[in-house]
Amino acid sequence: MKLDPSFIWTAFVQLLGAVPTTLYITVVSVLVGFIIGTAVALIRIYKVPVLYPIAVAYVTFIRGTPMLTHLLLIYFGLPVLIDGLSAYFGWSFRSVNMPMIGFAYISFSITAGAYMSEVVRSGLLAVDRGQIEAAHSVGMTTPQALRRIVFPQALAASLPNLSNSVIGMLHGSTLAFTVSVVDINAKAEIVASTNWKFFEAYVAAALIFWGLTVLIERLTAVIEKRINLYNRGGVV
Amino acid sequence: MIKLSNISKAFGRNQVLNNINLTVTKGEVVVILGPSGSGKTTLLRCVNYLEKPGDGEIAIGDFSVNCKHARKKDIHQLRQKTAMVFQQYNLFRHKTALENVMEGLLVVKKIPKEDAKQRSIALLEKVGLGNKLDAYPSQLSGGQQQRVGIARALALEPEVILFDEPTSALDPELVGEVLAVIRKIAKEGITMIVVTHEMGFARDVANHVVFMDGGVIVEEGTPGEVFNHPREERTKQFLKRITPELNYSI
Repeated sequence: MKLDPSFIWTAFVQLLGAVPTTLYITVVSVLVGFIIGTAVALIRIYKVPVLYPIAVAYVTFIRGTPMLTHLLLIYFGLPVLIDGLSAYFGWSFRSVNMPMIGFAYISFSITAGAYMSEVVRSGLLAVDRGQIEAAHSVGMTTPQALRRIVFPQALAASLPNLSNSVIGMLHGSTLAFTVSVVDINAKAEIVASTNWKFFEAYVAAALIFWGLTVLIERLTAVIEKRINLYNRGGVV
Repeated sequence: MIKLSNISKAFGRNQVLNNINLTVTKGEVVVILGPSGSGKTTLLRCVNYLEKPGDGEIAIGDFSVNCKHARKKDIHQLRQKTAMVFQQYNLFRHKTALENVMEGLLVVKKIPKEDAKQRSIALLEKVGLGNKLDAYPSQLSGGQQQRVGIARALALEPEVILFDEPTSALDPELVGEVLAVIRKIAKEGITMIVVTHEMGFARDVANHVVFMDGGVIVEEGTPGEVFNHPREERTKQFLKRITPELNYSI
């Protein structure tokens, strides 16, 4: 078997069509995951009664099981739940009407939420206690203090880890092919299977993933420079 | 007028404050002295509820909070009537000097931005930092940061400013500039409660000196009374240890 460099380019062009799918999955799971993660982090830091043990269980279970398993659990479990509820309440919605990518959105958001909760939590813990005390002392309520004083600093502190999580979710999104979502990787397989040039197709896929990752890294560096302005004279 | 009645506070089994009663009249500068662990910082932090008192009542003017059943709204209101200057400055790290002073005016007092800005600039000029408006805390010396902290407290026009060892974290040569600012605002008749170890400062700025030990107020009076004629043994011992040049007969 000989390498066909020109097919790398052909595959590359064809794979670009699947980039939006990969990006949708990544962006949705990261955004929803960030919201879940922030809520979970706050619940854990403030030890909110009732919710606290649930949050702890959620994080250990999700971090203790593979992302692929989450996807399969959602894929096979959610329809049972939806159809059960629909039958009980008399809704017309059936799980077969749900788009495949919906399973990826839901399951990866749950996965990202657990990982992000740890990222957000470490960011929040990096903010000195004195900051929230000072905010209280000028008369701010706790939500005001969190929003205006703590979160901006926590975000700056957790940015490197956050970017790691985004990259992790970008690469993890390839698992969506198991529920028949055509992302970059799945597209590479389809393109390759027409003429058995698998290696070339996966090289093209790797190049695209690498490019997207570099883009995320660059973006992080730009944001970091902007929001860490106040840290000049710090350790880094 | 500020009136603390029967304030008690325990951390677990450790009774830090035991039935403290203290009255501060308007315009008074109260200095709280005492060995470390005597509860003076805890008492100060109870006044704006950074520390939740276990029991007692805090009254500022005609507003009062019963610590047994304080609601969130009460605590919020109490904090709006007080301001604090911290030992570790605690400036908002991601905001410039000007933004630090403006923050409370914008968010809590809801003053229009331009107005808040003018007032904040005037205050920073007053503490001698008119040329550091856009500096971040990390770019300022300890003394400068603490002066921003004082401007931030002044901006809120509180009924009382609480100073928690405002010079303890400073290099010796920076203590003077901060004390000078505190002296200046003390002369303007702003009510203050100051926890400090600066005896010289306490002596000439205070109108009212409180000596605490073991979670109780051992002795209080004018600086003349407490420094020159301490009545209690514990006060004498403390003052002797901290100001060796004074020679009390114990």
